Amino acid sequence: MKGLLRLYPRSWRKRYGAELEDLVDQTPGGLGVALDLVIGAAVAYRDVIASNRVLATAGACLHGMSVAVLVQAIGFVTLILIAQRSADPTDVRFGPFNFATVIQTSYFRLGELLSPVTWMPLTYNISIPDVVLLLVLAFALAVVLAAPRLLRRLG
Amino acid sequence: MRRITAAISLVLLLLVATAVAEASLLGLLVVFTSILRLYLVVEIAGHYLQMSSLNVPSFLQVGIANAGTVGSFLLTIASGLGAAAYRYRRWRPVL
Repeated sequence: MKGLLRLYPRSWRKRYGAELEDLVDQTPGGLGVALDLVIGAAVAYRDVIASNRVLATAGACLHGMSVAVLVQAIGFVTLILIAQRSADPTDVRFGPFNFATVIQTSYFRLGELLSPVTWMPLTYNISIPDVVLLLVLAFALAVVLAAPRLLRRLG
Repeated sequence: MRRITAAISLVLLLLVATAVAEASLLGLLVVFTSILRLYLVVEIAGHYLQMSSLNVPSFLQVGIANAGTVGSFLLTIASGLGAAAYRYRRWRPVL
């Protein structure tokens, strides 16, 4: 349990480390205490970062980049979902710039020649992972967007 | 001189952070390629990075052109810079 104290910032440990160590010694160890220590470490880091302008700016920069990566991942999966429903190649264009192209392969076109009974389940099977991925990514984006507010409310 | 050094350090840090973010995005695309059974081709400055599953036939061929790669890089860096600028301007000391 004491190993979790290493998660705290060094400046915080110098000031309150001994006190917290005593407190951890006196309390019976358990999942609840471990969770408290982890949340406490997150709050301690939040305070250290928020009190320094440069660190706060760097944190915001990383947060913005994480959001951008997740948005692009959601865009990619959405593009695949849209392209699966169209027989023609799907392009993502802006003016003269072509960003991405999705083409259904000949294997899939062969599937179109088969009867609808065999073709439909093929399409259906492909779509389920897409939708699940999209939901997971949307959840991750919501967590990342809400993280600063959640951390502000803690402690 | 110190200002120049600080500015260069800032630019280098920003580039490293963007490169790490783009690498993580590429990692996500590799996972998606496997899960969605894609044949993915990413163009990076005239070089091609191809990904596909060996055992499973791919139903869709996805090509990301140079403009897409550069656009993704610019979007990531702009998001980071935008968020950083907003925080820097609105920062107040914690009482």
